[in-house]
This record gives sequence, structure tokens and C-alpha cells, in this order.
Amino acid sequence: MTTPRRTWLGPLASVAPLLIVLAAWQLASAAGALPKAVLPALTDVAKALAALIGSGEIFPHTLASLARAGTGLAVAVVVGIALGIAMARMRVVRLAFEPFLLLIYPVPKPALIPLFMIWLGIGDFSKIAVIALGCLLPVVTAAFNGARSVDEVLLWSARARGVSERRLLWRVVLPATLPQIATGVRTALAISIIILVSSEFLSSQEGLGYLISSYGGVGADDSMLAVVIYLAAIGYALDRLYLAALRRFMSWHAFAH
Amino acid sequence: MRYGAGANAVTALERIDLSVDRNEFVTIVGPSGCGKSTLLYLVGGFLAPSAGELLFEGAPIRGPGPERGIVFQRYSLFPWLTVAGNIAFGLEERGMRAAERERVVAEHIRLVHLEGFADRYPRELSGGMQQRVAIAQTLACQPAVLLMDEPFGALDAQTRRILQDELRRIWRRDTKTVLFVTHDVEEAVALGTRIVVMAARPGRIKEIATRDFEVREGEELEANPAFVALKLRIWRSVKEEVDAARSAGIPL
Amino acid sequence: MRSRTEPSQGEPSRAAGALARYLPIGVLLLAWELVTRLGWVNPFVFPPVSEILLRWIALIGDGSMFTPLKDTLWRALTGLAGAIAVGVPLGILMGRQRWAEWFFEPLFSFAFPLPKIALIPLFVQWFGLFDLSKVMLIFTDCLFPLVVFSYHGAKGVSPIYVWSAQARGASPWRVLRRVVLPMALASVYDGVLVAVVVALLVAVVTEMVSGGSGLGQTMIRAYRYGDVRTAFATLLTISLIGAALYRVAQALRGRFLSWHVGEA
Repeated sequence: MTTPRRTWLGPLASVAPLLIVLAAWQLASAAGALPKAVLPALTDVAKALAALIGSGEIFPHTLASLARAGTGLAVAVVVGIALGIAMARMRVVRLAFEPFLLLIYPVPKPALIPLFMIWLGIGDFSKIAVIALGCLLPVVTAAFNGARSVDEVLLWSARARGVSERRLLWRVVLPATLPQIATGVRTALAISIIILVSSEFLSSQEGLGYLISSYGGVGADDSMLAVVIYLAAIGYALDRLYLAALRRFMSWHAFAH
Repeated sequence: MRYGAGANAVTALERIDLSVDRNEFVTIVGPSGCGKSTLLYLVGGFLAPSAGELLFEGAPIRGPGPERGIVFQRYSLFPWLTVAGNIAFGLEERGMRAAERERVVAEHIRLVHLEGFADRYPRELSGGMQQRVAIAQTLACQPAVLLMDEPFGALDAQTRRILQDELRRIWRRDTKTVLFVTHDVEEAVALGTRIVVMAARPGRIKEIATRDFEVREGEELEANPAFVALKLRIWRSVKEEVDAARSAGIPL
Repeated sequence: MRSRTEPSQGEPSRAAGALARYLPIGVLLLAWELVTRLGWVNPFVFPPVSEILLRWIALIGDGSMFTPLKDTLWRALTGLAGAIAVGVPLGILMGRQRWAEWFFEPLFSFAFPLPKIALIPLFVQWFGLFDLSKVMLIFTDCLFPLVVFSYHGAKGVSPIYVWSAQARGASPWRVLRRVVLPMALASVYDGVLVAVVVALLVAVVTEMVSGGSGLGQTMIRAYRYGDVRTAFATLLTISLIGAALYRVAQALRGRFLSWHVGEA
């Protein structure tokens, strides 16, 4: 029993509540109910954001942040998938790596940032490393669980058609595990941004987290909030892009997103 | 009681004009997608018609209510309540005192032959037992009309037969009005005093047959020629619809 | 039921099973100890396990771990409690009332990818450098999983349960309280499990960033003074507390959901 009239309203409808909140914000500021010290007016924040974008100042920071998060995530995804599947298919690998993962699991990864900074210096490398470590776990877990539960029937069917073990891995196990990996990567995406911002708060010379922290420190609230909103928009866009890419490349799987 | 319901957004039902009198046992049978469950939900007040009117004892139906009790095929029992708890659920609404509630619960447990299972949880019961509880919990609220949505559809043939006999026995004893939806022609003919055959896409009433013979308690219906004849007639009627749909390329 | 590709274990006794699980970790720790003792890794960065453990025992023993632990814990739990009190009813409201869903779902969807810790400077400005800003941030961060899980749980209650109750005369309020809530509880509790982990994590991170007191602050300070052993010991405490909280929450699940059979 479908109600088709809601389809065009969909994207529009989801923006409306946001607009309502923004409008309420602006109204409250304009009416004086919201003092500047507490929260700058929306218009001020918008102006600050326009200035940051217009002057191009925000772009090197954006690039720095995205590069760190992106690299860390990419490393984690590649290593994580390989490791997870290997652990699922080979006892030895599992035995070797499981203890390490179990040990790391309960440690909140942002808490490792100072350690990594001592170890690998305060530059990008330490940040990328800790992001990679933080993103590794959800990906490995997803790949592991996915590869473990590959339907036996699929494997027998492939083997019976003379597929070698190596090709089996590549042509059967990996595709069958992709849906679960996809979900793990989505989690890792969110984690990468969290660890990125934490690390940039703690020690950084550039990046969006650095901007937020330094603007906040000198009381330039409108610029700080501008960057926060900018960051939120980037995070939202990345998540949506990821889901869209998933739908394109994995149209064969029904995603309930 | 008169029910004259209309079509819904996707034309699930069209031009339904049906009136059911007190104490009738009306069965509704038809192929999948003919809207028989939709019709039941309309009567139950869970759905609103897009056109036409539904009347219960002369007054329009505005929503669900205890005078029209419903038994579903599945998920009818709350998993966190015991058998007794499920049966007692509707009674608390009426502000019945605990002692009175217990009495009614016990009475209905006896009615469906589930003595000794009062403290069991639904997951501990077989499908047939769960449906007994479902019937008991609905009857406990003393509805004037009993709506049943393929209540025995998920059960095996033996259990289905047993519960059909049980239901007939209960109906004879308390004589309520029953609106019973099923896809099983035999069930429809065995239970109904009037059998409504529906066609699919759009859902509409094809024909209404009246059972003109009495079913005695414990009778072996297969041996009754009148039953067999009626069953064949209804079966052919339903099959026509199924074949028509299939030849029109509509997946069923 | 799908069959698994993993070969069966066939462990004869439970002791052997436990050994098999913890032995590899023990081996890893042993390797760590050896590697640091042999000087292959800078012991300034990675102290030997034994020294970390000794320091940890010492800190527990002289009670100096107690105050930071207490601070971190009560912040995390307070924020969590607030988030449950606000988030669960809100999520359930969203799941049952179209208007609430329409309004709040996009807001939460949009704010979800933003790391709420980006709001630390803002919260510090509003709520000061000490407890309140941290608790408020924990509250905000925990709100999300609680709302989302409660929302999906309440929304996913089969209409048949609701109709069954309505057809027996239950008022909308009763339907909510006696049908929707129990059915949604499983999902709500999954949200609680996630939120527990988040609460501790955010507590530690806020302490690392904005100081004050607590385990995060202790750890950062230890690093600043080059006292790596204390830093690791604090890290150990954080991990243990996190694991313990999660275990407790999991164990309590059985109490609240004893009737739950997986999927209804």
C-alpha cells in the first residue's frame, strides 16, 4: 500500500527541518534573545564562512585534513580487508593477529594519539597512523565476519567448476563479503573523521580541527562555527557520496539504507 | 450490520457491497491479492476507505475497537506476556478487578482447552496452541464481531482441522458474528454459513454462496455430498480467477 | 541455516578453551617484553609490559588512580544517563509520530557525521573548562546512537501487535507503554550498548583536550612529563574500565530482555 505522492517531497522534506532550525537561530539572534557571546548570529557565521571560502584560506586546511583522514582510511581498508579475509580463511593468520586485535579493541583510539606522536613525531605521519589503526578494527571485523559466513554452497559450487583456491578467494569470497565490508567501511569513515579532529585538536599546525581549536581559543566564534558547519557539511557529503557509490557498484545487493 | 466499502489508493478493492447479519459466519475466500485481508482491516477500522462507507450496527466505523475483535495469522501474542497475561490484556482496559480478570482468563483458557498452560510464554507453545491463545484473548473482550485473518494459515493440516472444529464449537456455543478470511476453499466451505468469493486486481466480490446444509458436530464432511458439491463449485470459481490472472500475466 | 566455512574446534574442556583464547595474547605480551628488554624498541616509547604493570599496581595501591577514575566515570555515566532520559523517549516519539520523525530525522542525519568533539571549544565557552562542558559533550555524543536505535526500534514494531492491542480497546497511551515500548526495548538496549562505549571514549577525549581532571588528563600530563609508564598504566585503566562497563551493560541486557527471543 504505497503512497506515491511522497517521492518528490523526499529530498525537499529533509531539508525543511534544517531550514526551520536555521531560521529560528537567526530570528533569536536578531531579536536579541541570543547574545553574541553565547552564539553568534547565523548571518555572522555565514559571512565568516564566505570569507574563509572566498579568500581560499580554508582550502589548504581542508586538503590537509582530508589527506590525513583519507590516507589513514585507505590504508586501513586495504590492510583490513586483506587481513580480515586471510584471518577467516587461514587458521595461522588468525592465530597470529587475533591477540593484537583483541588487545587493541578496548583501547579508545584517540587515547593513543599522544603515544603515536611520541613514537612517530608530531607531523602527519603519526596522525595518519593512528587514524589507520582506528579504522582498521571495524574493517577487519567486517571482513572477517563476512568471509567466515560465506555460504558453503557458493564455495562448493565454485570448486565443483574447477576454480582454484586462489581464484576462489578473489572471485567468490571477496564479492560475497563485500556487503559486510561496505558497512564496516562506512563505520570506519565516521571513525576516521573523529580521530582526525581529535588529533588536530591535540597538536597541529593546519587542518580543520586546528582551525576550530585556534579560532575557539581566540574567541573568534563566528569563524569557529563557520568551520564547524563546513566540517559537518563535508562529513555529510562524504557519507552520502559513499552510499551513492555503494548503490552504483553494488546494485546487486539490497541495501536497506 | 452493513459494510459498503470502496477502493483504496492502489485500487485494492472496488465496489464492495456486503452486508453481514448478526450471528452469521461469513467466510471470504479468494486468490492472493484479491484484497480479502484489506477488507477485513477496513472492517476492523485499521484502514480507512477512500470511498464509500463502513457501518457497524448503523453507525460508521471510525477506528479499531473491542466490539470488533481480530485474530491474526501470526504475531498475535505479545512475547513478553504469559498466556494468562495475553488473555488478560484487554480486560485491564475495562478496569476489571483482579479477581474478576482471573475468572475470565481461566474461563477462556478452559474454552480453548489450554488448561495448565497459563504461565507459559508464547515461545514455549506450538503454532496451534498460540492460535488458541490468540482466539481466547480476543474472545475475552466479548466482541460482537470476530474478525479472523487466515488464522490457521500457518498451521499444519491436522492442527488446522482440529482448530476449525474448535472454532465451530465455540461459535455454536456463543453465536457471535464471524468474518473469516482464508485462501483455503475447503476451510471456507466447512466453516461458513455464507461464502464470499473474491476476485483479484482489482479486488471485488465475484459471488456469494449460501451453505444450505447443516454441519453436525464431529461430522466427516468429506462424506457429505452436499459439502463436496459446494466445495467443488467454490473451488472452480476461485480457480477461474487464478487462471484469469495468470493468463493476463499478473504474477500471483 | 547457512553453514560456516570455519572448521570446528572440538575443544575437550573449558579450561583448554580459555587457555587457547588467552595464550596468544600472553605470547604477544611476552614478545613485547622481550622486544623492549632487548632494546629493539625504544623503551622510552614502549616500556616493557612488566614495568607498566608494576606502575599500574603501584598507582592503584597508593590510590592516586582513584580520583581521576572517579571523575571520568561519573562524567561518563551522568552524560549517558541524561542521554538515555532524553534520547530514548525522543527516538520512540520519532518512531511513532510522523511529525516528530519528519522534523528530527533529518536533523540527526545531518549532524551524525560531524564529530561532536569539534564542538569542544564551543562547549567550553558555554559551560566552562571543567565538568559541565565534558558532561554536556558526552550527553550530546551519546544522544545519537540512543535516538537512532530507539527510533528504529519503535518504528519497526509490527503493526499487527499495535492493531491487536487497539482491537482490544487499548488507548494510544497504553499501546505505547504496553506494546511499543517492550517491543522496541531490544533495539533501545543495543543503542545503550553503543552509547556506553561512546560515553567513556568522549569523556577521555574531552579530558585530553580541555584538561581539568580525569583519566584522560592524567594520561596527557604523564606524556608531557615523559612519564610513559604512568601514561600506559592510565591507558590500561581506561581500557579495563571500558571493557568492564560494556560487560556490565551486556549482562544487564539479560535482565531486561529475558523474554526476548532474538527476532520477534
